[in-house]
Amino acid sequence: MTRRRSRRRIAASALALLAVLAVFLVRLIDIQVVHADSLNAEAEDKRSIPQTIMGVRGDIYDSTGVLLAQSVLRYDITASPRTAVKSEVTPQQAAEQIAPITGQKPEELVAAIQSAVEKDPDSDFAYLSKAVDAAAFEQIRDLEIPWVYYQAKPARVYPNGAVAGNLVGFVGSENQAQAGIELSEDECLAGEDGSEVYERSADGVRIPGSTIVTQEAVNGDDIVLTIDSDLQWFTQQTLATYAQRWEAAWGTVVVQEVETGRLLAVADYPTVDPNNVSATADVDVSSLGSRAFTAPFEPGSTFKTLTAASLLDAGLATPNSEVVAPYRFTTPEGADVNDSTRHETWNLTLTGVLKESSNTGLAQLGLLMTRQQRYEYMQRFGFGARTEVGFGGEEGGDLNGGPDSWDAQTNLTTMFGQGLTVTAVQMASAYQAIGNEGVRMPVSLVQGCRAPDGTITDAPPTEGTRVISEQAARQTVDMLENVAGKGWLASQIEIPGYRLATKTGTAQHADGSGGYASTYIVSLAGLAPADDPKYVVSVTLADPVKMNTSGAAAPVFREIMTQVLKQYAVVPSGTSSPDLATNY
Amino acid sequence: MSLATAALRRPATPAGPSLEPAPHIELVPPAAGRRARPRVLYAGVVVGGLGALMLSQLLLSIALSDGAYTIDALQTERKEQARAVQQLTEDLGRLSSPQNLAANAEALGMVQNTNPVWLRMSDGAVIGTPAPAAGAGVLAASGSQVANDLLTGVPLVTVPAAGAEGAQALPGQLGAPAPATPEQAAGTTAPAELPLLAAPTTR
Repeated sequence: MTRRRSRRRIAASALALLAVLAVFLVRLIDIQVVHADSLNAEAEDKRSIPQTIMGVRGDIYDSTGVLLAQSVLRYDITASPRTAVKSEVTPQQAAEQIAPITGQKPEELVAAIQSAVEKDPDSDFAYLSKAVDAAAFEQIRDLEIPWVYYQAKPARVYPNGAVAGNLVGFVGSENQAQAGIELSEDECLAGEDGSEVYERSADGVRIPGSTIVTQEAVNGDDIVLTIDSDLQWFTQQTLATYAQRWEAAWGTVVVQEVETGRLLAVADYPTVDPNNVSATADVDVSSLGSRAFTAPFEPGSTFKTLTAASLLDAGLATPNSEVVAPYRFTTPEGADVNDSTRHETWNLTLTGVLKESSNTGLAQLGLLMTRQQRYEYMQRFGFGARTEVGFGGEEGGDLNGGPDSWDAQTNLTTMFGQGLTVTAVQMASAYQAIGNEGVRMPVSLVQGCRAPDGTITDAPPTEGTRVISEQAARQTVDMLENVAGKGWLASQIEIPGYRLATKTGTAQHADGSGGYASTYIVSLAGLAPADDPKYVVSVTLADPVKMNTSGAAAPVFREIMTQVLKQYAVVPSGTSSPDLATNY
Repeated sequence: MSLATAALRRPATPAGPSLEPAPHIELVPPAAGRRARPRVLYAGVVVGGLGALMLSQLLLSIALSDGAYTIDALQTERKEQARAVQQLTEDLGRLSSPQNLAANAEALGMVQNTNPVWLRMSDGAVIGTPAPAAGAGVLAASGSQVANDLLTGVPLVTVPAAGAEGAQALPGQLGAPAPATPEQAAGTTAPAELPLLAAPTTR
């Protein structure tokens, strides 16, 4: 009897237990399986805060460690319009406090809120001010306006403004690379945003141990340029001063180190301040980049140096090779060239041809070489192809299709730099080869991509190629020294104590329809010190209205070359230039 | 006990049916006096242990959440400091830009000499012709030609000191007209509308 009762009791309680267990099980499945997703989402919304970890964009430095482009944080000031109109701090009151900080007008801010509310009474978001700096942000935050919010966002500043602005380039409003090194080296510079999730308590404090990094942020690496920002500034300042004085349409100056092929300064006029791109873009979109890389032009007589150097290397001429140079020279095929000013027939040496910049003299000597040979020399000097820099939008120039498509006239004009186009950087690079005992070094603008631990990757090539023999190079420099010392600009380019090797050019602009316009591109390229060339300076001015000869480029060359020699502490030559005969 | 050990033991026990009577099993009366005390003790230990556990957990979570507030405060402070560092770096960057340095140098009366002269240490020879710097400087002739929007509203160091101290420190050198400052060249916004940097007082 007692046994039976206790058995029943056991069974009953077991049943009750099972029932309770079943209820739990059903509820468990309901929560964990059936409603799992919606409950999870609900819970996340309540406590868990996703957050982007910013991957910082790398900086850009010059060769001396000066910061040219820097990543900073800027702050968007936003508001909740629907709260604002009901708040005890009225939009008007707030606007009067915020406007003086951001440099806006109070009416603008009020209007932003009003229009948002008019469009949608429930509007919860409106921009008050975009991209204010940290100081302004802190001032606005300290106003403690309950309906004003902030969003930090990455931005870019360029501490040196337009210094190397043509090279560094700029980014857009969303920090996306748009031009220059910023664009071409974006792969190195760009960071990658990461993300994390954390939970936070009712009073906004992060709950310890709740942070889960879902994606690590990757910071960008730095870019180091070969540019020297002080020299770059001086070069830009000097170029702009003279370009304005002569009322030139545009101008470029390239300063290159002979031994390494590194570009030390590449100045453009007009140019861009990457901090204020619209100021340039509104006036002249074509000045946003670097014409030294992107604007090929017919160089004119600075090219004669290279034809002469080719002749020397091929053993077809010496600095003393003699030629009778009339004002006009006609070939049996009917091609004819003439010199820039009328003159009696001259008896010139090759040195004299360069000094007088005689087209007729050079054309006769140039015919000693086959066109194919000459074309190959041009290519070895680096013409007709983009340089190793690969600057954004860089052009390779046009050698007029090569020797097979040159007609008799073009065959002659390409000897003295007409009928083909080159860029300013290519021209500097060709002079670099002559200065470097005939070895052309790859042109470099970027030293490489520098990781935080200091290792440099993507370093440019440093292997030079021989273009002409050492002897031909030395003889060419000697001839150019005679041009610099005896030519008509000698007194204007002289730098006391230093030997210079220069050549001028005054080229007619192509008018775009096979003929020539009456405007000129004047240039001056040279090496110093000529006894052991260390630096190339190449100046180009387009259409200088007030002085349309290469005399316009002379003071620019002199001032910049002086600065280069001074800045790099080049010891004066201490010897005098070799005296080569120019006439016979 | 596993089967293996059971098999080993079997031969040790006598085989065949047992002749002994079934053992008499009887409940031993509980020793009341001996058992009562340990029960109270165990209960006390368990309850006390639980209490200690809960208390320490409470203290731990108080400490943790207190730490959370400290961390939060410190992180906020770090953010503020990072902002300050960024602001100072930006200020330093724009103040050390060549445009600003050149404008200030020339405002102080410095001009650059375009005639370099060298003194050779080996024999004391002077190379080059010493000549006073010609002209009024790189900027004076044409103003700053290299824009820098960041310098908008940044005053030159000499401007505040020009009247009093500067005139004494640099007699006769401030007669030259002040060159065009960068903000005049680039400026579109009135300087007063922007937060001005305090003029550095370095001398």
